[in-house]
Amino acid sequence: MSMMLLAQACATGITNGLIYALVGLGMAVIFKGSRLINAMHGELAVVGAATAVYCVEIAMWPTWLAVTMGMLIAMVLSTLVDIGLVRRLFNRNAREESFLLLTVGLGFTFSAAVLYVFGREEHLLPAFGDEIYEVAGAIIREQTIWIVGIAAFILIGLKLFYKYTDFGLAMMAASIDPDGAATTGINVRLMRTATFALGGLMAAVAGLLVTPMIGVSYQMGPILTLKGFAAAVLGGLTNPLGALVGGITIGLLESLSIVYISSGLKDAVALSVLIVIMILVPDGILGRSGRKGG
Amino acid sequence: MLTVSNLTAGYGVPNILQGLDITVRPGEMVGLVGANGAGKTTLVRVLAGLLPARGGSITINGSDTTNVPAHARPKLGLAIVLENRNLFGELTVAENLRLAERAGANRPKKFDIPRIVEMFPAVGEKMAVRCDLLSGGQQQMVAIARALLLQPDVVIMDEPSTGLAPKVVKAILEVLRGLCSEGMSIVLIEQNIGIASSVTQRAYVLSTGRIVHHVADGGWPAFLHDPHLVSRYLGQH
Repeated sequence: MSMMLLAQACATGITNGLIYALVGLGMAVIFKGSRLINAMHGELAVVGAATAVYCVEIAMWPTWLAVTMGMLIAMVLSTLVDIGLVRRLFNRNAREESFLLLTVGLGFTFSAAVLYVFGREEHLLPAFGDEIYEVAGAIIREQTIWIVGIAAFILIGLKLFYKYTDFGLAMMAASIDPDGAATTGINVRLMRTATFALGGLMAAVAGLLVTPMIGVSYQMGPILTLKGFAAAVLGGLTNPLGALVGGITIGLLESLSIVYISSGLKDAVALSVLIVIMILVPDGILGRSGRKGG
Repeated sequence: MLTVSNLTAGYGVPNILQGLDITVRPGEMVGLVGANGAGKTTLVRVLAGLLPARGGSITINGSDTTNVPAHARPKLGLAIVLENRNLFGELTVAENLRLAERAGANRPKKFDIPRIVEMFPAVGEKMAVRCDLLSGGQQQMVAIARALLLQPDVVIMDEPSTGLAPKVVKAILEVLRGLCSEGMSIVLIEQNIGIASSVTQRAYVLSTGRIVHHVADGGWPAFLHDPHLVSRYLGQH
């Protein structure tokens, strides 16, 4: 096996891993701010990307405006889910499984809506750039560089937001202890809504970044949710940096499985290794100290 | 000043709180004592706004707060230290206090971090430590510090002595006495009659959701020497 092939596998694995990481980052943000597993996160990414595709292909809008609209729609949709449904479940003291079932059901609904509007075809967005680079024998597209840059920007932005802004701190406090937060003057419901809005925005960013490389379709949501969730759990669930490490780990495992074992077994190998990692370090790769993250 | 009039509340049918009347004047530390199941924690949750009142009213400094949401009550001068402290365990002590400082920013400033550190030196030493890594006593001090940074006029303390060493309890009670002498109103909710009688001027005895006895100012010795009252309402001897 040549070094060039290995380098290419690593480059592809890191690119895919960063997409999983971006989805996982959004799920970590929602878990961090609400203690809920958002099982519709991949579908929100698809809705954001599909909206942008619609604006470019049908409405003939410029790409930047279409991308903005994609982010806005996913953010508004996520916010409405919180205000219209999640809040009602909280008011009725619903348990975790109710929230999980709600977001699973909504995920299917969003997929069905995308199928209704777009049909079964895959749609691509224009790439952010068309340059191709060669690094250590591996071919790297400019879109990958954008993904790396935006992932780093989001990670650092989230770190600063949670650590240094009162609003970010209040969002974390509201999820850690709602009663303690309310008696400390924090509007817990508002914080949860803000969390869902931020999560929706992040889902759209992930969807918009992947769509120039892999065509968006109604079937894409569940696999993004699954891989993103695995990335987030692997990283400790509340820790954005952990989601990044987890996503890249999954991407690399998949890609190396394709090269060294079989493409048909990539998911089985990657997820089996994840199970082993979770048994060995149940608090995630970064351990207990990384759970707060930021 | 805190006034509770004919307050009713509960989780199902019938009501747990059945028409409570309580008054706490400025600078007073008033006890609220009762056995397990008397309704103390339900009362705290209603005062905090975490459980809606079904009837009656709650007034703080003349403002009716009965239907004010929990997060808006600190702005009216109310701070609550819940029984299990409800700190943000994954955040540091400094971050817990910062959130309270922000919430109390629009109220007349009586407490700041240097003053808190002076009152509780142990809090000052642990500013960068996550709250879930603190001892029970340190957590209680942080919980009180967080409540004080809301700049309250009335503080409700729910069983502050639970699970703490006598030395720590003594230190905390000493701080509460000092706060009262500055004009703060404190409601001390306690199951431990010894602690309640040692620091409060007077007290309400709660049993099955009703105020069944009022220990008047200076009335603690008589109450404690009446074994019938103590055993009947508090289940203690």
